[in-house]
Amino acid sequence: MEGLEAASARSAQRATETGYSLDVATEIVDICADAGISLVASLPDDWIAQTIARFEQDSRFNHVPVNREESAVGLCSGAFFAGTGAAALMGASGLMTLIYAITKINYTYEIPLFVMVTQRGTFDDGAKFHVSNGLYLFDVINSIDMPHTVIESRDQLPMIAEAYHHSRKISRPTVALLPKKLLQGKV
Amino acid sequence: MDYQESLGYVASRWTDELVVTSAGTTSEIWHAETHDTERVFYLEASMSLSSMFAAGLAQGVPDNDVWVFSGDGAFVMNAGMLMVERQMNLPNLKHFMFSNRVYGSTSNVPLPGRDNNDYAAIARGFGIERVYSFGSMNEVKARFEEAVLEPGHSFIHMEVEPMNYRGESPPMDGPEVKFRFGRHVERLTGKSIFSAAVE
Repeated sequence: MEGLEAASARSAQRATETGYSLDVATEIVDICADAGISLVASLPDDWIAQTIARFEQDSRFNHVPVNREESAVGLCSGAFFAGTGAAALMGASGLMTLIYAITKINYTYEIPLFVMVTQRGTFDDGAKFHVSNGLYLFDVINSIDMPHTVIESRDQLPMIAEAYHHSRKISRPTVALLPKKLLQGKV
Repeated sequence: MDYQESLGYVASRWTDELVVTSAGTTSEIWHAETHDTERVFYLEASMSLSSMFAAGLAQGVPDNDVWVFSGDGAFVMNAGMLMVERQMNLPNLKHFMFSNRVYGSTSNVPLPGRDNNDYAAIARGFGIERVYSFGSMNEVKARFEEAVLEPGHSFIHMEVEPMNYRGESPPMDGPEVKFRFGRHVERLTGKSIFSAAVE
């Protein structure tokens, strides 16, 4: 069976063929490294396949593919107590599953958590099964008062680092949302 | 095997390992046995995430062993945690899973699959190499060093009887648990966890 890195490279190639930007993915990874993030727990979404592959292939990171999004919350929260900067990377649907884990772990104990998530369900998202994310993603985020920011364009990518540091500062989760056109390098 | 006796035995073998407990019974018994408020993260409500939390901790403190407790209520909810544990294969992570076939923290409501779940076989099926399954105190005592104290990620299934334990939760709010445990890790490892050090 091919190794994880080779499988990631193949996944990244497919993402390139379907229009996602290697340059943007690389920039996201570099910003995370410069911010002090060294552990990334991920679950896939087509839009971030390129980004996941870049984390996997970059020796500055310990990239851990996890079985469900809540495991990413557990892993990143525990990593905080080892002094490890961490990020959870996932699709919007994954974030929708996290209310229990975030409120019970991160809110109860006031543990920072940084989440990067695709902004699914927008007008440019062709997937009908993401309609609920378009309707309710922000309502869900706001329902538990999670500070969040949408990275609208490449010149706003440094806000990823700001969102990560803000999480540490306030000892709560923060979310950076990644739109499709950003990940395609179109904005 | 008696739940309290078996967990009490594990506590009696505790030296300098970092400990993460899970919801309800393990947190309450561990605190009752040890009265420790520094070296334990009492993760009292995580619904199956204690071992992932411990793995996140263990990956960053490779020179320190991390003991984590979970129950089979958590296991049936998130058996896939073992896939991640296997993939990370952290030699300093020791996962104790106490199986009493009930949701012990919620009035011993029976678990799904309680008659048939073979947790050790499931762990082996996920490729975990060091799987131990103990059903008696004699077995625990005979193989504790091999299972727990030798290097290598291990999954230790402890088959125990349901009990009607109603102990007190550790007497700390969440942020106090965070700071006490985090400061202990800072002292133990020299790592910087919080934004400001304490002299």
